[in-house]
Amino acid sequence: MRTRPIASTAVLYILTAMVVFAFMLPIFWMLLLSIRPAQTNLTVPPTLFFRPTLKHFNYCFVNPGVSFRWLVSSLVISCCSTLLSLPFSLFAAYAFSRFSFRAKKFLMFWYLGLFLGPPIVFLIPYVIIMSKIGLVGKYLSMIIVYQTFTIPFSILVMKSFLDEIPYEIEESAFVDGAGRLMALFRIVVPLALPGIIVASMFSFVFSWNNAAFPLVLSAKFTKPLPVGTLNFFATTGITWNYIGVSSIVTMMPPMLIFLALQKYIVRGLTFGAVKG
Amino acid sequence: MKRKYLPFAFLLPSLVILLLITLFPLFFSLRNSFVNWNLQLNPNPMGFVGLSNYSIAFSDPTFTTALGNTIKLSFFATAVEFLLGLGVALLLNERLKGSRVVRALIIMPTTIAPMIAGFIFRFLYYADGLFAYLFSLIGIMFPKEGVLGNSATALLGVAFTDIWQWTPFFTIILLAGLQSIPTEILEAAKVDGASYFKTFLRIMLPNLTFVTLIIVMIRFMQVFNLFDIIYAETMGGPGTASRTLSYNLYYRGLVEYNIGYSSALAWVMIIIIAVMINLFTIVGFRGKEL
Repeated sequence: MRTRPIASTAVLYILTAMVVFAFMLPIFWMLLLSIRPAQTNLTVPPTLFFRPTLKHFNYCFVNPGVSFRWLVSSLVISCCSTLLSLPFSLFAAYAFSRFSFRAKKFLMFWYLGLFLGPPIVFLIPYVIIMSKIGLVGKYLSMIIVYQTFTIPFSILVMKSFLDEIPYEIEESAFVDGAGRLMALFRIVVPLALPGIIVASMFSFVFSWNNAAFPLVLSAKFTKPLPVGTLNFFATTGITWNYIGVSSIVTMMPPMLIFLALQKYIVRGLTFGAVKG
Repeated sequence: MKRKYLPFAFLLPSLVILLLITLFPLFFSLRNSFVNWNLQLNPNPMGFVGLSNYSIAFSDPTFTTALGNTIKLSFFATAVEFLLGLGVALLLNERLKGSRVVRALIIMPTTIAPMIAGFIFRFLYYADGLFAYLFSLIGIMFPKEGVLGNSATALLGVAFTDIWQWTPFFTIILLAGLQSIPTEILEAAKVDGASYFKTFLRIMLPNLTFVTLIIVMIRFMQVFNLFDIIYAETMGGPGTASRTLSYNLYYRGLVEYNIGYSSALAWVMIIIIAVMINLFTIVGFRGKEL
């Protein structure tokens, strides 16, 4: 460990404080926006002290509670799209981790490509296809479209976890007469449980934060939070305090999940490529 | 079952569903790119037009503006995020008291939905907003239409929202890279009297090459595809000052309902992205085992 003079240690602390300030300020300002009286929203100089009010929260989530509907939609869409992707990705991750076959590298790059490719190119064909089969405005349309990123993401992340489980454990089960599927469910799945949880949590966050697809696929009662919040940018005027409330509530679940998954953030955000 | 086919039995369910939900829409849009189809005029395609949708794109000044904006935005945002992120990672690597808490806090912007981040910054960028006031204290004046209302600064405003969101991503990942360097090596360098700068250049940086390549690739692509922040903040405006390829595609397809033309735009974008991904992976994953 490097020993430092006190003066340079002080400089480092000040720099760190400035960094934290810069990254936290916008979030803090949004939090204030959600509880401040509207006349203090945009003042020069900005108002830091005011009498906090919960009336914006009340308007958004209780009476009439317009945002509540969007919260329910967000939960339904994100949970369903995560759950739907799990069985598909578990089997595929197992195949990628345990076998080597000719198309392996090609398929893995294709899945990575689905992630890095522009989601917007899917928007127009999906609007047409979904309206042809009568799914526009229904939860199912978004749940299906989200599989384009939840499945490849979960496959790559789960594979990185499965790679850490020694193959010998399964082999000893084969010797005892267990079949592949039995070994998978009795031995691999319990050991890979952390990986399955991490993959689903991140899938949930990506689904929760998606706004481009529901922008065109959701209807009045199926809008998730980020898209519903656009309603507050009405032509009659932007109601910033309600946007503040809706935004703060939208931010909460992903923030809590990231706090809980500290150890796995690096792996999740690089799709399993960097173990961290 | 023969061992050779076993992996495909496990892969089949996901392969079938992914082919169905990704390749089918892509080929559908490839077909659409060769027809004249505007939903405002006709619910059905109005005849085969060959490559004319593609040739329109390259003579359309909005498209070339969008392409230019996208390239500027991707290079600028990715570069600033990497440099700032590396700087903060080096700072947190000093293991000051409370750096664990700082690390947990600092990643928060990355967790936020880009659409929501767009709302936050749209509020902060107003001429009578918080940023205008803070910057006026150090003598920087914001345009009177606000950052996003001025065509000289709108794209910069979009870039800084993305930089705020994703610098912590670089920090967290580069920090993990720095902390995986064995302390013995760093101690040895110190015993040999190497300066911090020399240690950074000779030991830390070489250890970060592979992760850097991966995250720069991921980020560059994501900024290249940026849509949500633009939608939330500027809708590509004022005029076309902050219009990117993604927003242009959305506008042509779902505001003007020109399905044929926007499908051609989609395929131009797919080809650009495919070339970039291949370049990155050829360089980055050369000789790597998966």
